[in-house]
Amino acid sequence: MSTVSNIGAIARREYTTRMRTRSFVIGTALLVIGVVVIAFLPVIVRAFEGSSTSRVAVVAPTEALGERASMTITSLLNSSVVGSSDDDAPDFVVTVVDDLAAARADVLAGSFSAVLGIERSTAGALEFTLYTNDSATGKTAGLLQQGANAIAIGDRLDRLGVASVDQASLFAPAEFGVQWPDPERTDPIRDTMAATIGQDMLAFGMTILIFMIIIMYGNWIAMSVVEEKSSRVMEVVLNAATPFQLLTGKVFGVGAVAFTQYAAILVTGGLSLLLQGQVASAVLGEAGTSAALPEGLTMELLLLFVAYGILGFLVYAVLYAAAASLVSKMEDVNMVVMPMTLVSTGGYIIGIYAAMGLLDIRAAWIVALSQVPLLSPFMMLGRISTGVAAPWEIVVSLGLLVLFIGAALWLAARVYAAGVLLYGQRPGLRAVLRLVRTGM
Amino acid sequence: MTLVLDGLRKRFGDVQALDGVGFTVRPGEVFGFLGANGAGKTTSMRIVLGFLKPDAGTVTWQGQPARAWPRRTWGYMPEERGLYLRMPVLEQLVYYASLYGVPRRVARQEALRWLARFRIAEFADRKAESLSKGNQQKVQYIATILHDPDVLLMDEPFVGLDPVNVALLKEAFVEMRDRGKTLIFSTHQLEQAEELCDSVAIIDHGHIVTAGSTRDVKRSTGHQVIRVATSGDGDLAWLRSLPYVTVTRPGNDYTELRVDAGSDPQAVLRAAMARGGDVLRFEVADPSLEEVFVERVGALDVEERTLAAGEARR
Repeated sequence: MSTVSNIGAIARREYTTRMRTRSFVIGTALLVIGVVVIAFLPVIVRAFEGSSTSRVAVVAPTEALGERASMTITSLLNSSVVGSSDDDAPDFVVTVVDDLAAARADVLAGSFSAVLGIERSTAGALEFTLYTNDSATGKTAGLLQQGANAIAIGDRLDRLGVASVDQASLFAPAEFGVQWPDPERTDPIRDTMAATIGQDMLAFGMTILIFMIIIMYGNWIAMSVVEEKSSRVMEVVLNAATPFQLLTGKVFGVGAVAFTQYAAILVTGGLSLLLQGQVASAVLGEAGTSAALPEGLTMELLLLFVAYGILGFLVYAVLYAAAASLVSKMEDVNMVVMPMTLVSTGGYIIGIYAAMGLLDIRAAWIVALSQVPLLSPFMMLGRISTGVAAPWEIVVSLGLLVLFIGAALWLAARVYAAGVLLYGQRPGLRAVLRLVRTGM
Repeated sequence: MTLVLDGLRKRFGDVQALDGVGFTVRPGEVFGFLGANGAGKTTSMRIVLGFLKPDAGTVTWQGQPARAWPRRTWGYMPEERGLYLRMPVLEQLVYYASLYGVPRRVARQEALRWLARFRIAEFADRKAESLSKGNQQKVQYIATILHDPDVLLMDEPFVGLDPVNVALLKEAFVEMRDRGKTLIFSTHQLEQAEELCDSVAIIDHGHIVTAGSTRDVKRSTGHQVIRVATSGDGDLAWLRSLPYVTVTRPGNDYTELRVDAGSDPQAVLRAAMARGGDVLRFEVADPSLEEVFVERVGALDVEERTLAAGEARR
């Protein structure tokens, strides 16, 4: 039978059997549910909070102070810096009331979320008391404390005789810039919260996904190889197919399973993000906001993620299969795949630390390691998403990865051919090298 | 037009597993490959199938190197039974056949036919792990022949089967032979070989001790066997006094003797008649394969004479 059709048949069996296992179905379902929940988390949180507007009552000794408090809280706390980004509904609605006792009763009844009581001490300073059932250290309390400080400062300026027109310029925020220490460095600095989180999280998330594919499905391939050996199916199949066909069929079959699972996750995740606006408006009755893709997510980055994911999976998969072919008992699998586990975990940790800024992503040793075929799938995405990888570096690392896959496949096919008929003790390194050299 | 093994040598580490194995199997015959565990049967088969490369020697089928023939030429049933335990029986049979290029529809029909024939049709959609050992073995046999191979190599096909299933399997062997297939099976159950095989080879410690048609092998020792019963039995002294005779099996119904090579069995009959009394039974036969085996190799001691440990160590 031809090589291609046998690889196809082997991959197909691997795929259909894996897809049917209960653990795969349940695991994928849980992951999909998890992705949907995370994607809709903002909507869900707001739905549970009901209206996101806090109604606050202010009780002040004078009407003028009440006005000032109302204006300060409304303008300061509803600004985009501290408040939530959607400007349809204000975060704080402030009402000036006269009767503290009645207002406290209203908080208990639920018509206000808090009452801010203002008194003037005999020394002339303002004193604030917050009456609320919410957490004393929660967001509302914290924001109202900021508001109280601003009211108090304005009041002190009043008493010092500064006109309120001048006060506005006093409160105007200062210009504040951040720059790289390295004068040569020209890539844009991330000076907004959204950009920082967006880029860090993107590289972080993509690297985690690649690491998970490699560890999880690499082990799956290893167990599948040992299962065939320990159940002695190997000899039956070996009469029909060559070790090379078995190896590649298995890698493609399990790879297709991985692809299916990730496609399910990515599609539901993408749909969730796209539909978020509609769902939010349906559930919350708000005007639909447009789909917000994470900042920094470009088509190039997405394609490179797919490329590094697939190539990284392939290189590790053939090595996992070859290693597993050397043992015949399930208990020995972990032991024999240890080198791959160590290398991938090492690359992953360095890659994550560099992407998060815990290691200097521009350091020479990180740049060098990010070209190493077994490490580049974990390290390049961080460098690419932060914009510090030159295009030629990406091309070289992908090229090296492809070349290394070819070499790994050649080596793995020889180890596999010799290993699959090997039963009993695990052979030492010398014996493995001899097997690779001499064939069977 | 034969399967020829010639001068096969194979060493695993310190163990010389095969030391010049050679014999010939004619197409369309049932061939028994006899030997103790570890004598080299499995290694020889794996070399024929191309799983292992010999250190020296060749295997040819119909004049061409065995490895040059397409895979569907060969059917192999390993000694250790192997099935995907979590995969339904019919599905995995179709899978194995598809690896040899058999269309799925054809494989399905053939598999169902064989399952019915082996009386396990109701297990077609069950997972293999739910079948008994004997039934798994029958599934394994179907997997071996489903792609209609010309040469079947089977390692200890009868081990672990009850008598009913042994009979079913033997019938299946005969059917395959009648279809013109060449069957080679290894066994240490010599009575099965004697019943089924046109030819046999006896292997011991990697050497072929003797090989040829079953009848020739049985006669290869030169001995003949006599079963004799006379009236007034119980006294075997007269038999033991005959110089060219060894009493191998004294019994109530008859006594079995071995006559040395070159001596005339009829002399025993004459001696019995000369003794007076009636000769109730007198039968001259070739020795059984088991007797040949014991004489050429020594008693089969399955537990001790094993090179399996050495084979596992390679």
